[in-house]
Amino acid sequence: MRRIAIGERPGWRASARANGFTFHTLDGAPYWDESHAYAYAYAFTLGEIERDIEAPGTELHALCLAFVADAVEDARILASLAIPEAMWDVVRTSWRRGDPSLYGRLDLAYGGEGTGPAKLLEYNADTPTALYESAVFQWLWLEDLLRLGRVPASSDQFNAVHERLIERFRAVGGTCLALAAYADAPEDRGTVAYLEDCARQAGLATRFLDLGDIGLAASGAFVDRTEAPIATLFKLYPWEWAFADAFGEALAATPTRFLEPPWKAVLSNKGLLPHLYAREPGHPNLLPAYFEDDPQKARLGTSFVKKPLFSREGANVLMVRDGAVLAQDHGTYGAGGHVRQALAELPCFDGRHALVGAWIVGDACVGIGLREAAGPITTDAALFVPHVILPG
Amino acid sequence: MASSIERSSKRSTTVALVLVAGAGATALALGRYDPSQREEDVLVYGGPDACIRGGIRTETDCRSTYATALAAYPEAAPRYLSLADCEGHHGTGHCVDGTAVATSAAGRFVPMLAGYVIGRRIEQALAPQPVYDHRPGQAGAAYSGSGGYRTSWGGRVVTGSGGASSRARVASSAVRPAAFGGFGATGRGFASHGMAGHGSGG
Repeated sequence: MRRIAIGERPGWRASARANGFTFHTLDGAPYWDESHAYAYAYAFTLGEIERDIEAPGTELHALCLAFVADAVEDARILASLAIPEAMWDVVRTSWRRGDPSLYGRLDLAYGGEGTGPAKLLEYNADTPTALYESAVFQWLWLEDLLRLGRVPASSDQFNAVHERLIERFRAVGGTCLALAAYADAPEDRGTVAYLEDCARQAGLATRFLDLGDIGLAASGAFVDRTEAPIATLFKLYPWEWAFADAFGEALAATPTRFLEPPWKAVLSNKGLLPHLYAREPGHPNLLPAYFEDDPQKARLGTSFVKKPLFSREGANVLMVRDGAVLAQDHGTYGAGGHVRQALAELPCFDGRHALVGAWIVGDACVGIGLREAAGPITTDAALFVPHVILPG
Repeated sequence: MASSIERSSKRSTTVALVLVAGAGATALALGRYDPSQREEDVLVYGGPDACIRGGIRTETDCRSTYATALAAYPEAAPRYLSLADCEGHHGTGHCVDGTAVATSAAGRFVPMLAGYVIGRRIEQALAPQPVYDHRPGQAGAAYSGSGGYRTSWGGRVVTGSGGASSRARVASSAVRPAAFGGFGATGRGFASHGMAGHGSGG
C-alpha cells in the first residue's frame, strides 16, 4: 500500500458534473480533489486486497451476523446497545423474519503488507455514505487513467460495488421501492439518488421521498403524499433516530419493510465492538474494546479511543495516547453511553491519515473507498481518495 | 457512460447510470399498486335522513355521525385560490366563498358539503368525514348524477351502481387520513451537526 502521485485528469470537474457528482466540493471545501499540482491515489497489491481486506471484510460481516442472531434474543445485550426497550420486538422480529440487508461499510485501520492485519474500527452498517464516489466516480477515474495510459494496462481496482448493488436489489428489493432521506442534505440526497439508480437498473419501480413526506396511514402502513402504501422503504436515516421519532411506535405493527432492516441497529452501534471482542478475543482483525462502564477497560492502559455508542463522521471521538489527548472531536453526539477501544492509529502517508472503508453488499466484501484526513480522526472534512491495484 | 474490461478483474465490468447522469436526481411517482393496501366498506349519505332510511346504521348513529362530519366541515374543507379552481374539481355551482364557511377560509373558495361518509359497521371505528362532489372538468350546473366524492384530503369515494347506492368499497387510505412528519425530527435536533452538507450518513 503506497500513496502515489497520479496527477489531475483533464476535465475531471466536467466529468463529475456530467455524472451527477454534485458534492465533489462540500460546503466549499474539496472532497474529491484532483486540483493539487499532483493528485494522489493509493496503490495496493492484489495480495493486500484479497488477503488483508476482502477476506477479513467478508468474515467480519459474518461474525457480525452471528452476533445479531444472539443479540436479538438477549435483553442484556440489547440494553447494552442502548436500543430502547420498546423497539426490541421491532429489531428481533426483523431478524427472525429474515429481513434482508443491502449494504454497509466496515471502517478499517490498515497500512499495507507488513504492518499487521486490518483492524475493525467500526461498522457503519445502517447509513453509510461515500458510496457513489466509491462505486462510480472512483471507477471512472481508473478507466480514464487506463485510457490516458497513466497506469499500467493491467491495473485494476477492488470495486465491484456497482454491479453487486444492482444484483442485490434484484434479489431483495421487491418490485417497488421508495427511498427517503433529508432532501436538503446534498451528500445524503446524492447517495440516495445513486441507490435509486441502481434499484431502477435492477428493474424496480422507485420513488424518492423527503423524510417529511413519509406518512403513516391508519392501516399501519407508511405511505407517500398520495397515500399510496410503501411496501419497501430504503431510508438513509439512522435507526436510533427513527426509534426516537414520533413514528417510532408505529414500527412494531407496520407492514412496510425497510432497507436497512431494523436489526442493523445492533451493528451500527459502537457497542458492537466490545461484544465482538468478547466473543472472539483472539481475532486478528478485532481490537480489544470494552464498554466505558466496564472496569476491565483499565486493561487498555493509557492509549485508547473513546467513542459514543451513536456517532457518525468521527463526531465526539476522544483519542488518547500514553495518557495524553491526541485528538478530540467536539460534536453533538456526546449523550448516551460510550465504548473504549484499543488505539489503532491510522497509517500516515505524506502526513495524511488514511482510512479504508470496506464495502459489504449483501454478505460479501466487494470493494473499498479510502478517505484521508489531516488529523488522526476521520471526520466529515476528510477527502475521498481513489485507489488502484497495480500489477505485482 | 459505460466501459468494459475483461471479466477476471476485481471491479465492475460496466458502470452505467440511468437516472443520475445528465438529468440529475429525479423523483418519479411509479408503482402505485400495492397488494397490502386495505379496503373497507363505507356508506355515503347526503344527510341523516337518508342514512336512517337506509336502515343499516341506527338512527342514533346516523344523527351523531352527521353532527360530527358537519362540525368538521368548516375547518376540514379544502381551500382553493379561485372559484374556477374549486369548480374545476367539484363542479360548477358546487363551491362557495370561504368567508361564509369559516374565518380561516376567508378569501378562499371551498366546496359545498355533499354529504358524509361513515363506516358500514360501528366496529370499524371510522371517524365520520364530510365529503364533496367530485366533478373534474364538468361544466353545467344541471349535472345531478352521482358516483364520485372526495374527502377533505382528496381521498376518492365512489359509490356503487353509478351512484344510486350509498354503499362503497374504498381504499382505507381514502377515508382514513394519514399523519405526516413523524420521521426526521430527531435528526433535525442534531442541528449543529448541520444540514448544509451532511445529514444522516456517515
